[in-house]
Amino acid sequence: MSDTSETFTLVITGAPYSSQAPQTALGFAKAAIDAGHSIDRIFLYGDGVHLASALCTPPSDETRWPQEWADFLEQHSIPGIACIASALRRGLVNDTEQKRYQLPAANLLHPFEIAGLGEWVEGRMTSTRTLYFHAGG
Amino acid sequence: MSTLIMIDQPPYGSWSGREALDMAFSLAAFDQPASLLFTGAGVTWLKRAQDTAGIAQKSVERNLSAAPIFGIEAILADRSACQKYGLDESSLITGVTLVDANGALLEQYDHTAFAG
Repeated sequence: MSDTSETFTLVITGAPYSSQAPQTALGFAKAAIDAGHSIDRIFLYGDGVHLASALCTPPSDETRWPQEWADFLEQHSIPGIACIASALRRGLVNDTEQKRYQLPAANLLHPFEIAGLGEWVEGRMTSTRTLYFHAGG
Repeated sequence: MSTLIMIDQPPYGSWSGREALDMAFSLAAFDQPASLLFTGAGVTWLKRAQDTAGIAQKSVERNLSAAPIFGIEAILADRSACQKYGLDESSLITGVTLVDANGALLEQYDHTAFAG
């Protein structure tokens, strides 16, 4: 990699299907990798946690943004983390949280993980740049 | 690395401000210098004696009063937005510093962020 390569932490706060934030972020992430930069991690915050739902089921002629993102994360071994406080409020849980709160289901899409805001703090410290993808409007 | 977390939404119509506050508290918990800037309708967060009994929500005033305890360096409010919303030093909670939210202010920080 050249000396000018960057390491990015991407924070997505806009939900798929109500904002373009996840799509824009994915376009950016792919372009950054193609240009020789690296992505340290993706952090989903606020409404952005909906991107990690295994239950998003758009009509068959529309893009499945959670799956698109999951494939990208797996392909490049990039951690995708949903903020635990944002996730629990919005009904996004993994097996651990399902058991902890005795919920009827878990719906976290692989390879996304659930963790605290410390992941965002750490990402900011280890990346050269942190970018935010908001819902806008 | 100093960070300015900005809140430009009123406290009770949107959750983004509360999540912005959590971001600031989280930075402080990890010993990262963080300050809060309230701009636009966000300055209504800083109104003294908020009564939220009628809307079944927790008052943000208590959260904000915890900011110095958590290690938040400063609570800043945009002077012109405070004037627009009829807030002066007698109607603001204690510990607020009035500033002009402009490029010169933002340049003092390494990192600025909104929650949404």
